[in-house]
Amino acid sequence: MQEPKAELPAEPVAHVEAKAVVLLVLIGALICAFLLYVMYARGVFEKTQRLVLISDDSEGVIPGMDMTFSGFPIGRVQRVELASDGKARILIDVPRKDAAWLRTSSVFTMERSMVGETRIRAFSGILTDPLLPDGSTRTVLRGDTTAEIPRLVASARALLENLDTMTRTDSTINATLTNLQSATGRLSGRYGLLGGALGSDEEARKLLVTLERIDRLLLKTDQRVFGKHGVMDDTQAAVLQLNVVLKDASASLKKVDAVLAEAQAIGANARVATEDLGALRAEVDASLRKVTRLVDEINRKWPFARDTELKLP
Amino acid sequence: MRPTCLLYAKPSEWGAVVVRALASWWYMLHLGAVALVMAFSPSTYNRANRVAASRHIYTSTWRVLPWFTLLSALVSQVLIRIVVVTSLSYGLSNYALEMVVRVLVLELIPLSAALFVALRAGLAFNAGDALALAGATADSPALSMQAQNRLRAELVPEVIANAFAVLSLAMVNSVIVLVFAYLNVYGVSPWGVYDYTRTVGRVFEPVVTMGFALKTMLFGLAVAVIPTAAILEMQRLGRRPLSTMQPGAVRLLFVLLLIEAASLAMKYI
Repeated sequence: MQEPKAELPAEPVAHVEAKAVVLLVLIGALICAFLLYVMYARGVFEKTQRLVLISDDSEGVIPGMDMTFSGFPIGRVQRVELASDGKARILIDVPRKDAAWLRTSSVFTMERSMVGETRIRAFSGILTDPLLPDGSTRTVLRGDTTAEIPRLVASARALLENLDTMTRTDSTINATLTNLQSATGRLSGRYGLLGGALGSDEEARKLLVTLERIDRLLLKTDQRVFGKHGVMDDTQAAVLQLNVVLKDASASLKKVDAVLAEAQAIGANARVATEDLGALRAEVDASLRKVTRLVDEINRKWPFARDTELKLP
Repeated sequence: MRPTCLLYAKPSEWGAVVVRALASWWYMLHLGAVALVMAFSPSTYNRANRVAASRHIYTSTWRVLPWFTLLSALVSQVLIRIVVVTSLSYGLSNYALEMVVRVLVLELIPLSAALFVALRAGLAFNAGDALALAGATADSPALSMQAQNRLRAELVPEVIANAFAVLSLAMVNSVIVLVFAYLNVYGVSPWGVYDYTRTVGRVFEPVVTMGFALKTMLFGLAVAVIPTAAILEMQRLGRRPLSTMQPGAVRLLFVLLLIEAASLAMKYI
């Protein structure tokens, strides 16, 4: 009722069952070995300690990614979760044998590059510090290249606009450069720096003529002032005469001084006399008042006394 | 002849075509489930069935493995070289190894193993043999004892052998590709083992590993069950093949692509 199958061997194969068993065992062993290798690669058999990194953004962090120290992977991200304060908690398993590289003073950074995955790195500056305890929580420092790009582009644009403004035909720098060019052109002219400073060779020539005139003037002045029978000789003679006059004036002043001393003595005598005059005047005043009272008394007692009463109409 | 596709059917027949397609898919699933249950029941493995299974395993795996491994290693070596050299020229050599493992080991090797086994064994199902089995499943779903015995004797060993063949080819070649990838990236040196192991560990996350195993097993089942189910169904309904094409081939390719797409979607979306 049943035909032999086309794909089965026509003649019986020797030890077909044994071969099938060998194949089954080999493939089974291969699968088991592969699974064990994958588990080993995933770090299932390693003793680990937990490290928690706190970040305000966990973008790019995926479970299974490495944390490196000096380029060597020493830890693996186990889980990423959102904390109650809204920050990301990155749970990292560090094998015990690699945990020696992490110290209490270690710093952890998370870098995002434009191409490639996010990297978590550990830096231990002082390897003599105490070991990082199990379950430690650290804040991770973030360096985000892509976040810097907009700022960089804005700065670059401003810079390019400034550069554009500077390099336009009517720009200030261009005008300055043109002026500089004309100035250097003048500097290389006949009168050199002088021509450059004064604006043209004509002005420089005028200045030089003026300087020559001044030079001649100074020469003449020197002859007239310091030369023989010059102003300085006359001035010296005048100064000698002035010295004599001053001596005479000094003697006159001494005489005036003596006169003044005399006058001072006279003034003192006059002041004494003035004081005596004051006493005399007081006595005269008293006598006059007495005479006045006497006259008034006589007038009252005199029969021809006038009626002094005023009568109103 | 009854139309089998909506495009060739009148609108009044669309309902019947849909029902027939659904029934066909259900028959395939049911047969697969029955074969799976029988494969896991100890009573299947009597002396005669063990010999039959051994012969099927010998045919579908033992005889195929060396040639497939050789061919696969050759193609893999070329692909690995291309990936490594290209990534090196772009300065992305760090990612070459991961890419090789992800593309070759996780995706291409299982798919090519499934296709190879399907062409070599699954689609080489003998129509004469199917005639004998067609009666066995005719009174489905309530399978009689006789029908069950026939399924046990004929179908289950083949299903097991084909599934095992896909698993074996995929595993052996995956390991070979992993070795080749190491040699291409690090050369014959033991100092890259630590980095390499970490990279492999990073790729084979638990979800990815389970997806890889599940996908390989589903490939094996599809390759084993779909062509058989197609022929049995054809014989059961007394149809003639519409073309010289092997029955179930299109459905098998469709299911393989579906499994691959689902696997990719699960991993990367």
